[in-house]
Amino acid sequence: MSNLFEFNGAKGQGYSQPAPVLPESSIELPASLARKSLPRWPRLSEPEMVRHYTWLSKRNFGIDTGFYPLGSCTMKHNPRVNEVIAQIPGIADIHPHQPEHHIQGLLAIFYEMQYMLEICSGMDQVTLQPVAGAQGEFTAVRCIQEYFRLRGDTKRTKVIVPDSAHGTNPASAAMCGFEIVEIPSQADGRIDLEALRAVADETTAVMMITNPNTLGLFELDIVEASAIVHGVGGQMYYDGANFNAILGITSPGLMGFDAVHFNLHKTFSQPHGGGGPGSGPIGVKSHLAEFLPGPLVEQRAPVGDESNTAIDNMWYGWYQPKHTIGKVQQWHGNAGAIIRCWAYYRRYGRGLKTMSEHAVLNANYLRHAIHKATKAAGVDSMVRDGAEAVVAKHEFTLSLAPALEMHGISAMDVAKGLLDKGYMAPTVYFPLVVPECMMVEPTETESKETLDEFATHFAEVLQVDAETLHAAPITTPVRRVDEVYAARNLCLRHPYDDE
Amino acid sequence: MLSAMGMSSMEELFADIPAEVRMTEALPLPLPQSEEEILADARRLLGANVAMGERVSFLGAGLYRNYVPASVFQLVTRGEFLTAYTPYQPEVSQGMLQAMWEFQTLISELVGLPIANLSLYDGSTAAAEALTCCVRVHNRKATQKDTVYVSELTPPDRLSVMNNYCQGAEIKIKLLRHHPDGTLDLDAVAEAAGSCGVYVEQPNPLGILDGGLSEIKAIIGEHTALIVAVQPVSLGLVEAPGHFGADIVVGEGQPLGSPVTGGGPIYGIFACSKTYLRLMPGRIVGRSLDVDGKVAYCLTLSTREQHIRRHRATSNICTNETLIALMGAMHMSLLGPEGLHALAVRNMTACILAKQKLSQIEKITLPHSNSHHFNEFVIELPGSSKECLAHLDTLGIIGGFDLSAWYPERKNWLLATFTDQTNAKQIDLFVSHLTAWASSQEVDA
Repeated sequence: MSNLFEFNGAKGQGYSQPAPVLPESSIELPASLARKSLPRWPRLSEPEMVRHYTWLSKRNFGIDTGFYPLGSCTMKHNPRVNEVIAQIPGIADIHPHQPEHHIQGLLAIFYEMQYMLEICSGMDQVTLQPVAGAQGEFTAVRCIQEYFRLRGDTKRTKVIVPDSAHGTNPASAAMCGFEIVEIPSQADGRIDLEALRAVADETTAVMMITNPNTLGLFELDIVEASAIVHGVGGQMYYDGANFNAILGITSPGLMGFDAVHFNLHKTFSQPHGGGGPGSGPIGVKSHLAEFLPGPLVEQRAPVGDESNTAIDNMWYGWYQPKHTIGKVQQWHGNAGAIIRCWAYYRRYGRGLKTMSEHAVLNANYLRHAIHKATKAAGVDSMVRDGAEAVVAKHEFTLSLAPALEMHGISAMDVAKGLLDKGYMAPTVYFPLVVPECMMVEPTETESKETLDEFATHFAEVLQVDAETLHAAPITTPVRRVDEVYAARNLCLRHPYDDE
Repeated sequence: MLSAMGMSSMEELFADIPAEVRMTEALPLPLPQSEEEILADARRLLGANVAMGERVSFLGAGLYRNYVPASVFQLVTRGEFLTAYTPYQPEVSQGMLQAMWEFQTLISELVGLPIANLSLYDGSTAAAEALTCCVRVHNRKATQKDTVYVSELTPPDRLSVMNNYCQGAEIKIKLLRHHPDGTLDLDAVAEAAGSCGVYVEQPNPLGILDGGLSEIKAIIGEHTALIVAVQPVSLGLVEAPGHFGADIVVGEGQPLGSPVTGGGPIYGIFACSKTYLRLMPGRIVGRSLDVDGKVAYCLTLSTREQHIRRHRATSNICTNETLIALMGAMHMSLLGPEGLHALAVRNMTACILAKQKLSQIEKITLPHSNSHHFNEFVIELPGSSKECLAHLDTLGIIGGFDLSAWYPERKNWLLATFTDQTNAKQIDLFVSHLTAWASSQEVDA
């Protein structure tokens, strides 16, 4: 047990700092400004700090530790060259207010990323500014809101979301001030066109939907859904959380969407960092482009002195869309994440389709392998597909409802059992439409051997008796954590002795 | 793998995608590249940029060039941290959970408030979420419903983020006046009593440390939130807002632990008093116990969040800036209280030395010279700051920020920034070039 707040060694010795340019006595802050007592931070030497965080890291599970089939989160391998690239001073030591001629290389990469995302999504204009998927949703819905306002179309107060949608969809639309209309999905999580028709009207501003849906199934009726929403004058919004499944195969533009966000960190492998950073660019069709948050990057032939700093004989500059909603982040978005994602995309280039094909192949193969392994072990009656479908896309759902009925083994029990086998557990209890749901997403960067082994271990977990599984995990740094205790006995910071 | 599934082609896996939505052409993108080619291209393109470290730089205006200790980079790229996601399975995520609980404590102590979340996207979104949060908490008792007051000096880009976040809840943002010396007009603050919140910055966007902010809470009373945005390093010298009545403290965490990185990823600080706990945005880690009674950490108070509360959530935030916050925690751990103080002294003395020397240049004035400054101050030039910056650029100097970008009427105002990375030689160089440039300018009558 390493406790940061028990370190109280020599003062100011964590790392050596140069002397200030003037003695401290030159600072004469009045009592109204001067700090009276310093924060009660610990005092660590560098070796103590290094050991503390190394110890913590060993109590954490990442993709580098093992297979991480966390559905909806697209936990693919993070190539290390991308980290090397992100440390180049030409990105790490760049200030967003530097003039254009200082950052031509950065703007060239931004422009290439705008273009690549436009091509892959079938949209007309992309902004890279939003810094997370949820912020992308918020930004796009804001743009649509301003689009309607400018047209004087003020009756559109509603946003439609399926009940299987990610929670961020309704949360983002509500932040914009819209009323949320949730419509039921069919049993397979697919959109219910009748339910959509029943609510779509002249008050509909947007329908938000992800495709493949949160069960990993392609929305067969997506074109019809778009027609219904467009028919009442509404806009179609594509939640790009599952974009990894369809690059180069189809696009939101082809399906009739007007706006889309990309979870760049998922699709293009910015490391998820224990919860962030991410990057959530959005793309829109031309009628919404003037509303995007600025500035955006444009390309043209250099003029005069510009040719001295132009990249491949092209000049890159910022511009503001005419009716911009303004900013959603104070700077230019998560530039460092965008650079990493650029490096990931460059590995595939025009072959991005193979990325999606391998993601879909791995998901379907794993689904097949799990059914095969559970059958061979005689436990196939404990688990069923979350939805009937011949093929899934990049992820699939399983229902452990039979295991719960037969043996009292829940999806959470199975998840904890998988932790003991050395895996990160799949997403559990989402989407809500599947009882005892387990959502599995292997990604394209896993080998057949890894998938086969996981299937075998999954079947082994189902063979464990209920009592043992209720007690799982037993091999992890701590065992089941009491979340109710945490909420009832709030301890949100180190309790100092005098408190 | 296909044959194991009884399939003969990849196409069978996509048979459910209707022909009418299929892409028919190959993507018009470059050929795939190897690792070496990508790295070479990255070095070529990013190498064409002018990194601040290649020049003498006085550019800040919200982001501050700093030194991030080597061990921070070495540790934060450990795969167990780097390649993890949100700790939904606490049993195998204790490392990040504990590190974030420690981060909450470090921030809490830094700003003088009991509660901190584990980061928002940046300083601007933290400020914007603070505004919507204070309306949720105080609107019922407010006499000025749905109204917040924000310093008129707030950078327009930040104000724009606030407007986007506030418009959905129909929150009115009114601006707070300042005196010509750059300090807040406390009479204007009196008008904010009865509203849901007051937002100010310390130091303010012109680098001014305003002692008057310590009087605001007494003026606005307990039912109006005092929200203060900070430059966290300044708190090694400057009073923590929690100690003079701030209810919510936000800020750009970047100067602690993160390079400037083109403006992201960085992290937003959000801390508050207990009043705001159940209506605040963002993830929070709590200390708990496992079934064996061992200390264990987990995410808590999740019922505020989008994945549970959906459209009634306090915020839509899901992915945040945890890894960058971790860098902040590591930097704070290395600094300790005295190291933070020393770092603040380096920043502030660089600013003082620059002010002493620049104030002696003929034709240049410092409009707020009677105030205390942290990191930066306004220089009024005898010509346009745009032209001055262009001139300095030809000499290899990034001279600062042209304030006409924020305040269009201030064509001659330059915001120059001095940090722990500024040395005396750089200041001398700046002074000599500014002196030469100023003397070449015709002063308008």
